[in-house]
Amino acid sequence: MKLLQYMLQRFVMYLLILFIGITITFFLPRLMPGDPISNYISQVQARAGQSLSAEATQQLRDSLAELYGLQGDLFTQYTNYIGRVVRFDFGPSFTYYPEPVSNILLDALPWTAGLLIMTTLLAWLIGNGIGLIAGYYNKRRAAAALEIVGILLYPIPYYILALVVILVFAYWLALFPLSPTFLPGPMSWSKSVSIIHNSFLPALTLVLAGFGWNVLAMKALAVATKEDPYVQFARLKGTTDRTRMTQYVFRNAMLPQITALILSLGFIFNGAIQTEVIFSYPGIGMTMRAAAGAGDYNLLYGSIILTIFAVATVTLVLDLIYPLFDPRIRLGG
Amino acid sequence: MIRLDNIVASYTTQRGQVNAVDGVTLEIPDSIVMGIAGESGCGKSTLMKVLYGDIGFPLSLRSGSVEYGLTNERSEPVTTDNIRREWFRHISYIPQSSMSSLNPVVRICDQFVDFPATAGRKKEVLAQVRGFVQKLGLPPESIDAYPHQLSGGMRQRIMVAMATFFQPEIILADEPTTALDVVVQKSILLLLLELQREMGNTILLVSHDMGVHYQVTDKMLIMYAAKAVEYADTDDIFQNPLHPYTLMLTNSLPTIGDDRARRGLPGSPPSLWEPQKGCRFAARCPIAADRCRREEPPLVEYTRGHFSACHFAGDVAGLKETLQAGPKLSEVAHDPSRLMSDLEADR
Repeated sequence: MKLLQYMLQRFVMYLLILFIGITITFFLPRLMPGDPISNYISQVQARAGQSLSAEATQQLRDSLAELYGLQGDLFTQYTNYIGRVVRFDFGPSFTYYPEPVSNILLDALPWTAGLLIMTTLLAWLIGNGIGLIAGYYNKRRAAAALEIVGILLYPIPYYILALVVILVFAYWLALFPLSPTFLPGPMSWSKSVSIIHNSFLPALTLVLAGFGWNVLAMKALAVATKEDPYVQFARLKGTTDRTRMTQYVFRNAMLPQITALILSLGFIFNGAIQTEVIFSYPGIGMTMRAAAGAGDYNLLYGSIILTIFAVATVTLVLDLIYPLFDPRIRLGG
Repeated sequence: MIRLDNIVASYTTQRGQVNAVDGVTLEIPDSIVMGIAGESGCGKSTLMKVLYGDIGFPLSLRSGSVEYGLTNERSEPVTTDNIRREWFRHISYIPQSSMSSLNPVVRICDQFVDFPATAGRKKEVLAQVRGFVQKLGLPPESIDAYPHQLSGGMRQRIMVAMATFFQPEIILADEPTTALDVVVQKSILLLLLELQREMGNTILLVSHDMGVHYQVTDKMLIMYAAKAVEYADTDDIFQNPLHPYTLMLTNSLPTIGDDRARRGLPGSPPSLWEPQKGCRFAARCPIAADRCRREEPPLVEYTRGHFSACHFAGDVAGLKETLQAGPKLSEVAHDPSRLMSDLEADR
C-alpha cells in the first residue's frame, strides 16, 4: 500500500516536471528579443542576393508561422504546442529540410544515451568501488594512494582532460581515431566493434572526469559507516572483511550515492554537448549545437524537449527502483 | 573455568599509554552468571573486550592472557591468541546498542547466517533459527523482517537469539538492557537466565544497575580504577562486603522499609594517567590510613571464594552502620538545589 502510494507520488511528480519543463521551453524563447521568422527571411534574402516581393514574403511568413506553430494568439500557440509535443512532432528541420526533427533526434538519441548512460554508470561503479576500498581500509597506506587518484582527477576541468586524452591516445600513441567514423549499414559484429573502438576515447574521458567525485564521496561515507554499531557487531560475530565491506558498509553507504547518481544523470546532456563537440560524436549534443548555430528552431526545440523528457524519465525509473535498495522506503517504519 | 592471569590492557593515545585494566587475576567457574560492576571508566568494558579477544589498535594486551577451559577443533586449548576463531561458536556477544546493531538494509535472517560458522548449511540453519526464535517468544516469520519493522524489545530478543543459537559456552553481555524500559528489561533478563539454566553456559554481564546484578548474577566482580577490588558470591557482595567501595556502591540501592536518604560517594576516581601509589580508592575511602596511601593492597581470598583488595577488609562491616545513618527521606524537604550544593562540595 505504502509502496503503491510512493510510486503514484513519483509518477505524478514526473508528469508535473515534464509539464513545467515543456512550458518553460515554450515561453523562454518568446521572451527573447527578435523574431525567428524575420531572421530566417533576412537570411534567405541575403543568400538569394535579391529581395523577394512583398506578397512572396508574406506568403513565406505565413507558411513559416504554420510550420513553427506561431499562428494565433499566445494561448492558441501554447495549446497547439502542447499537442505537438505529445505527438512528438516538431515539424521539419530547417537545416535538413524536409527531414522531420523527430527523425533526426531519434537517430542521434541512441548515440548520446548509449555513451553517457554507460559512462555515468561505469564512473559510478568504478568510483564507488575504489572509494569503498579506500574507505574501508582507510588505515592502510595503499588505501590512501587510491584516494589520491580521486583527489587528482576530481578538479581537472573536463575539456583539459579530454584534450590530454586525445593528445595521448589519438596523437602520440595513435591507438584510437581522432574523430569517430562509424560503419554504415545494419548492426553486425564488426560494426559493434567499430562503435566500441570509436567511442572509447569519449567514454574514457567521461569516466575519468566522473569517477573522482565518486571516489571521494564514497570514501567519506565508508569511513563513517564502518564505525556504525551494526558493522562493529558484525565484526564481533566473526564475519569476513568481504562480507562486512559489501553487505554492511556498501549496502548502507551506497544509498546517498544512488541519490547522487540520479542527480548526475540529470546533468548528462550538459556533458553531451562538450564531449560530442570535442570528439565530433554524432549525438544529441552535436545536433543541438548545430541547430543553435544555424538557427534551426524546430530542431533546437525538439532536442531540448527530448532532453527534458529523457532526464525526467531516467529520474523516475531510478526513483522507482530506489526502494529495492532501501527497505525502509519500501515498507515504512 | 575461565582463568585470567594478571591481565594488563592498555590504550595507546596521543598522551601515551594508559592501562584501563591493570593486573586482574581471576578464576570464573563454569555455568554461572557473573556480574561486573563499577563506575564509568573503571575498566569493565575493556575487560570484556579482553575476554572476548577483541584486541586491536588502540587497545593492546601488555601482559597476561585468558584461558577459556575450552579446546578448539584441533584440540588445542583456547586462549587469547586463538579465541577470535571461536567467535559465535564458543563465545558470543550481546551488544549494548541493540537498536543499532542490526544492519538496517538486510533481512534479519540473512544476518543470522552471514558468518563463517554457518557456511554451507545456511538453509538448514535458518530452519532451526525459525524454531529457536519461536521458543524465545518471537513469531518465526520475524526473522524475515527488516530491523526497522521490529520493536526495541523484539530486536533485543533477536540479539539474544543470535548470541545463544549456536550454544556457546561463554556469552558476554555488555549492558544488554540499558536502552530498554524496565518491563522489557525484565523479560530480556529472564529470557537470558532461562536460556543459561537450560544450556549451562557462562554469562558475563556488565551493568551499571546494581538491582540487575542482585537479581541475576551468581558471582560479582567489583572494579575500581582499572583494578579488581572485590570478587565474591553476589549474596556476599550485598550482605557482607569486604571492600569499602563495594559497600558504598551497594549502599546506594534503596531498600524497602528503609526510607533514609541515600548518600552518594563524594569525589571521583583517580586519573589513570598519573602514576598510582597505594590503594586507588584511598582518596575517597572513609577508613583510609597512611598504609593505604603507601602500599597497594593485593586481591586476597579472605573467606572461601571471597576476594577483596583492602588492607582493612575486617573493618568494612563496622562502616555499614555509620554510612546508613542518614536523615529519613520523609524528613528531608524535596529540594533539587541540593544536588548543586553536593556538586560544589565534591569540588
